[in-house]
Amino acid sequence: MNAFLSAFWAEALKARRSKVSVLTAVAFSVFPIIDGLFIFILKDPEQARAMGLISAKAQITAAVADWPTYFQVLLLGTAIGGAIVFAFITAWVFGREFSDHTVKELLALPTPRWIIVSAKFVLTALWILGLTLMIFVIGLGVGTAVGIPGYSHDLASTSFWSLMTIALLTFMLMPFIALFASVGRGYLPPLGWAFLTMALAQIAGVMGWGDWFPWSVPGLLGNLNGPRTEPIAAHSYIVVLLAFIAGVVATFAWWQSADQAR
Amino acid sequence: MNLAIETNRLSKHYGQVRAVDSVSLRVKQGEIYGFLGLNGAGKTTTIRALLGMIRPSAGSVKVLGQAVGSNGRGPWRQVGHLVERPTAYPELTVRENLEIARRLQGIRDGNATSRVIERLGLAPYADRKAGTLSTGNFQRLGLARALLHEPELLILDEPANGLDPAGVVEIRELLASLAREKGVTAFMSSHILTEVDRLATRIGIIHKGRLIEELDAEKLEELRSQRLEVKTRNLEAAQSALVQAGFAVKVGESALILNEARAIAAPDEVTTILVNAGTPPTRLAVEQENLEVYFLRLTGERE
Repeated sequence: MNAFLSAFWAEALKARRSKVSVLTAVAFSVFPIIDGLFIFILKDPEQARAMGLISAKAQITAAVADWPTYFQVLLLGTAIGGAIVFAFITAWVFGREFSDHTVKELLALPTPRWIIVSAKFVLTALWILGLTLMIFVIGLGVGTAVGIPGYSHDLASTSFWSLMTIALLTFMLMPFIALFASVGRGYLPPLGWAFLTMALAQIAGVMGWGDWFPWSVPGLLGNLNGPRTEPIAAHSYIVVLLAFIAGVVATFAWWQSADQAR
Repeated sequence: MNLAIETNRLSKHYGQVRAVDSVSLRVKQGEIYGFLGLNGAGKTTTIRALLGMIRPSAGSVKVLGQAVGSNGRGPWRQVGHLVERPTAYPELTVRENLEIARRLQGIRDGNATSRVIERLGLAPYADRKAGTLSTGNFQRLGLARALLHEPELLILDEPANGLDPAGVVEIRELLASLAREKGVTAFMSSHILTEVDRLATRIGIIHKGRLIEELDAEKLEELRSQRLEVKTRNLEAAQSALVQAGFAVKVGESALILNEARAIAAPDEVTTILVNAGTPPTRLAVEQENLEVYFLRLTGERE
């Protein structure tokens, strides 16, 4: 346990000192703010026009300005934005050791490699959890400030757990990002993978196979509170779990035994 | 005999390239082992194999009596290392970088970081971000990390890289005192041959992946060829007199060179011949081939 705490302390210090922690917080807090702005415009298009927020020609009839819509947009934003921001965090946590060539200082130590990799995964999970909690709190604040009608504790509670589930499912897709950051020794391969899977998730969704494609599943949940709600079946959770297990096992195996010749 | 490092027919191949080819090293405890080789000779690959960072294609590695695996297994609590150029987290201070190393080494003593900072002369830079350090101080930080846990064995790749002349002397003295006073074994690769010459008690020479020579530093002294260099005001007359006396003489740029043992053993005889010939020497010296020349001769890079 001491070894793990030491490794986690090291990972947390690196994250705290890095600008990446601030950048990801800023990037993620943009979602509830844009969401609030969207609802503000929906609520009173005339005032938004008068303030110059939207063009005089804009036709805003797509949705209703209420809390369910607000939360739905927030969930969808988390599902899409999370895939990028969380991938960025994971790519940084793992890829920076290769980009800064510091990985060789982590290999021949009394602290086993698997503990270092575990500490990195735990830090990534906590980072993602923190950002998710942050946007929910900011979301509530923005929603209240905008004065959206139709708030209920039940709705907030359901939306909170949907948000946490989306964040959890998105996190479970991150081990592959860690794997590509490690095998690819830097940031580009994992970010390339993130954008590739985002594109494939869209295609899988259009073809109707989204529930079987792990990278589409968080996005499906993003629609849960919306009018086109379809319950997510167990098999969708299972494919995400399988992707998680495969990514974790491959990342640990790679760190444990791959040649570190650079 | 206690061996700090032992490799048996260690090989590492990358496709057709034999980076390290059947290298069997024996480094005794307390030795300072200089590992010499040209760029690409296989020094760093050997060091990475010693530290379990790469999986050997064949052969085995033992460090401090323990088999080293590519899965991170090894006696790392007793080993300090510096592989290739030093690295550090640039946004963290010198102290924070070393504090991470201390914790990952499992050292409970919180003063260990301050001690090594003092020892390596990093105190004025302790709270400076590693990314802003000069090359020399960055190298010191790498060495500080290697020495932090007071290891029994140091595996150092080019430890004097980037240091100024005073720093080179300081590190040399530090390594020598660690070996002398604490019995620390040091395995260091270098291309700065004079460094190895002054510090190492044993020397291994690797060339094109193969260990072509392994010998005691004292033995190296004997093997390096000697020659007698003679300068006079009239080289032609001096050459003729010496040839007449039966010496084989080569004419250098501004001196005569006599390679025979007879000449090296009796420079007084040579002096007498030259004085009698009316061309007395202005300089007469027994020169020893320097390590660079010996090394290049051995590796076939120079005749």
